[in-house]
Amino acid sequence: MNWNFTVGHFNVRLPVSDQDGEALFALLSEQRRVDHIPRLAMTVSAQALDELRRMAMRFETREAAFWLVEGAYDQQLVARIGIQKINWLQRGTQVQWEIVDTLDDDSLALIVAAVCDFCFDQLGLYRLEMRLRVGSDAQEARLQRLGFHYEGFLPAHVEYNDEAMDLALYSFLASDRLEPAQSN
Amino acid sequence: MKFTPELVFDGGRVRPLTYDDVDALFHLYQHPEIPGQRALENKDNLLRMVDLSVQMAATQRGMMWAIEIDQTLMGLVSAFDWQPSLLRTLLRVDALPALTLAQRAAALTVCMDFMASKYHVRNFGYQWIAGQDLSLQTHLLDMGFSQTAIQRGAWRIGESSFADVVHFTRLLAADKPVAGRLGEQDQQPGQNLDHPSQAQQAQGGAAQ
Repeated sequence: MNWNFTVGHFNVRLPVSDQDGEALFALLSEQRRVDHIPRLAMTVSAQALDELRRMAMRFETREAAFWLVEGAYDQQLVARIGIQKINWLQRGTQVQWEIVDTLDDDSLALIVAAVCDFCFDQLGLYRLEMRLRVGSDAQEARLQRLGFHYEGFLPAHVEYNDEAMDLALYSFLASDRLEPAQSN
Repeated sequence: MKFTPELVFDGGRVRPLTYDDVDALFHLYQHPEIPGQRALENKDNLLRMVDLSVQMAATQRGMMWAIEIDQTLMGLVSAFDWQPSLLRTLLRVDALPALTLAQRAAALTVCMDFMASKYHVRNFGYQWIAGQDLSLQTHLLDMGFSQTAIQRGAWRIGESSFADVVHFTRLLAADKPVAGRLGEQDQQPGQNLDHPSQAQQAQGGAAQ
């Protein structure tokens, strides 16, 4: 199975541990890009290398897969989109993303749709869920524009900065996809 | 070493699983209450489940109790997805149809009380699967749980069919415990309930 694909002007590919450290660090060192998870931004580049190794190990055990999204021409990293805690029995997984501010909604919709299609059609998953900190308005608005459904929240689910945080729940199911257009 | 206590409640008790429970557990799993769950066919899996129930408790990943009424095993209380550092866990009850809601509530309550007092767990979740007895929802609300989310298609009940999961949560108001140095926490000396200092401490239900 090929886990790498191209959509529009973007390459969506699995990371390469000894190549992507610098770009990943640049992406994840901005607090506003990881605040919704919630997680602290990276502060030293060694954290990116550690994260890359962790991603590789989790992929080997088929517990998670993280894709880096980069411009097809300029090779600039614009997002990391991952699925984790994959439950192959229940056919569900949790989606996580970190996105640069300059990525527009149309491009994001294209990329997310391709990732969703891959998860549903290639991996046989049925339910994609995103959990994010309650009050992450910009991210929640993005999810709603992408067709994710708000399902409620999980109270005091994680601890962040010494505070118990509620997580909002959004989901997108294989059955939420529009019927594919009939080709002539 | 023992990690799962025996706890008594009005009309019955919960206790750790043993190999002697295999036949009773096999009978229990002939009446699965979760949609999509098939009646169990192989008793060997239950021996493994008893082993796992000990390992889960020892490693603080979960805890399992048999619910006993009049010396008869009538169900199981399971705490799983236990996150000790986040002070939360998910609960599940598998019960024979004859177990009343009151007995079910009493068993759940003593288990929650134990986890709250011993391990400071203060966030208890319970997932109701669409297709389960609706009265269980009222029963959870009566116990102080609140419905916080409906997860669409989160429970697989067939090859390509899925049921919604209604998520209930009960948050305790207790303050977060203050961390202390090992050996100086006289109230919580360890998780081995066989330790002499635990003997007089356990209970609400006495340590076995």
